[in-house]
Amino acid sequence: MSAYDLHERAASLVLDAGGELVGRTRLQKVAYLSSLAGLLDDFEFEYRHYGPFSEELADAIKLAIGLRLVQEEERRTDWGGWYSVFTIPQRKSLAPSARASFVSAAAGIGAIELELAATAAFLFIVEGFGRNGQGDPWEETKHRKPEKAGEGRLERAKAAYRKLREVPTPNPLPAIV
Amino acid sequence: MRSTQSFSIPDEVEISDSLIAGRALGGMSSQVKSQRIRDPLHNLIEFDVDQFEQTMWRVLQTRPFQRLRRIRQLGFSEFVFPGATHSRFAHSVGVFHIARSLMTIIERDPSKRTHQSHVALAAALVHDLGHGMFSHSFEDVGKQLNLPMAIHENVSDALIRNSEVSEVFNSELGRSFSDEVADVIRIKKPGNLIDSVVSSQFDADRLDYMQRDRLMTGIQGSGVDATWILANLEVGTVPLNADEESAGEVKTLVLGPKAFHAAEHYVLSLFQLYPNVYLHKTTRGAEKIFTSLIVRLHSLIESGHQSACGLPDLHPLMLFLSDPGKIENAILLDDSVFWGSLFFLSQAKDRLVSEYATRLQTRRLLKCIDLRRMIEGRTPIRRGMTIDDRREREARISLSVKSILKELEERAAHRKKTGGHEILIDEYRRSPYKKFQDSQTPLNQILIRKGNEIEDMAHLSSVVFGAESFEISRVYVSEDDSEGKSMILQIIDKSTGE
Repeated sequence: MSAYDLHERAASLVLDAGGELVGRTRLQKVAYLSSLAGLLDDFEFEYRHYGPFSEELADAIKLAIGLRLVQEEERRTDWGGWYSVFTIPQRKSLAPSARASFVSAAAGIGAIELELAATAAFLFIVEGFGRNGQGDPWEETKHRKPEKAGEGRLERAKAAYRKLREVPTPNPLPAIV
Repeated sequence: MRSTQSFSIPDEVEISDSLIAGRALGGMSSQVKSQRIRDPLHNLIEFDVDQFEQTMWRVLQTRPFQRLRRIRQLGFSEFVFPGATHSRFAHSVGVFHIARSLMTIIERDPSKRTHQSHVALAAALVHDLGHGMFSHSFEDVGKQLNLPMAIHENVSDALIRNSEVSEVFNSELGRSFSDEVADVIRIKKPGNLIDSVVSSQFDADRLDYMQRDRLMTGIQGSGVDATWILANLEVGTVPLNADEESAGEVKTLVLGPKAFHAAEHYVLSLFQLYPNVYLHKTTRGAEKIFTSLIVRLHSLIESGHQSACGLPDLHPLMLFLSDPGKIENAILLDDSVFWGSLFFLSQAKDRLVSEYATRLQTRRLLKCIDLRRMIEGRTPIRRGMTIDDRREREARISLSVKSILKELEERAAHRKKTGGHEILIDEYRRSPYKKFQDSQTPLNQILIRKGNEIEDMAHLSSVVFGAESFEISRVYVSEDDSEGKSMILQIIDKSTGE
């Protein structure tokens, strides 16, 4: 059953990112990796087109926007795409915390690289790629997302993930690099 | 976190499946003829004489596919719409039929279809193969009890990769054909033009079920101008991205400008099917009883009280609930098995099993208290509200409902422990058009071409842009549970300060 205050927990992710978090993909993937790191235990994730995705988180952030705890602004790129920017309208000063350090670091990674890294971690944890000598989560990610994995992005995703593993967290991120 | 995994069918099952697949394949060479099915929605659906379509016809003859005849598309909706008895078998054949029409937009000449389009068409045919009895209600059981074989994606994946169905696929269309089909359904690659026939805003599945469910329920709203939509679909090139970053371009299906209003109507028709059909309070009430009944049977078996279930040990339900990890137990289950077990379940020693079975047998369902509607009624709409004000009001209603449900869940759990009546809670939310829940992706958008520009429907249609989510929060109580009813009303009054 859904918790009563999930919208506050979704809003706190934006706050932990420094009061601004760019993009719905980032929000989802940051939340997923935070869950793996033992810093968040509120949302269930499943595999969708963009890798790990939580319907509960999507609903929670929508509720937070409705209650005006978070603002969402849609912006257009110069190449014709759209993306969201989440901000906390009344920013409080944020006390340093393990989660804030991790969320800020994850939110600073490029969206495509973050998507690739979170997908590889999900494939390892949930679908078993790379466990017990069965397959490779990065190769499977490349197979599922050939356009996004190209142009060196998969290697950059691995590097970003490796760096993220260095941030101290209650649970270490899966050792897939 | 939930987990999913791959499952294979044990060897002894494969052997018997092989024999049947052999029968299904027998006699294919000598006298090949086209095959026809009369369908209430599409009229004549033909399977041509070429190897691919003949193979699809043979897939229809396999046991896993025939099982879909015994699973209704709309489960308990028949309690509300007596005509809604159509099966997943009919729907699956219809999806295949529409997928072929969609494919001709991508590959004009059906005689020159590529291997990839054959894979996608086969995926359209078998996409529902793993559905369990009463589909989504059984899935709820799987989620509540963490039973992977009650989740249809897992069962579909296993059946497509390793059963009679894969025998037919692989013997005729290539050794790894079944794996390729399973991958299309499981992986859901965004932006793949051919796979968009199977998974997109205008995929064959949705185009079939919207029209079929409307026809069979008899509702007069929610029409789809499918002919016009299909006539105006074309291939367009759109950016692929994650948030603000571009990852090049992909081809996908887009609508020409003349189909704008048909597309707008399509979004609203789908949205209205939810309150009118899929989320009807009576249907959902029956689903809740079904789910609770199966969960109860599972707990009795787990605690060693099989004899209180009212079913023989070899009954398919008992076999599945005793060993829910086995796919061969999962595919023994279908709607008819459940309906056929109701007499025995109604005689069960366990009070709850007996009561719920009798309720479903006699359509004497629990009483619904529409919690959300009550809270909406107590939350005034002010004149001159902006869209943001309306959304804030909606959010406050949601918050109020959540707090009531939280207290209600705690008190209902306590009552259950002390042997009191069960209170069943039903929550669901549906957005009219999920503009881009994760990031914008061609698969999640309805794209309209305006001149040389291709735009998301939500940016062009104020109706779609302004449509708010539809949510339900309902509570079901027994008609003689006056204590439960007053408890619920008391919690609502306290929460709204009345």
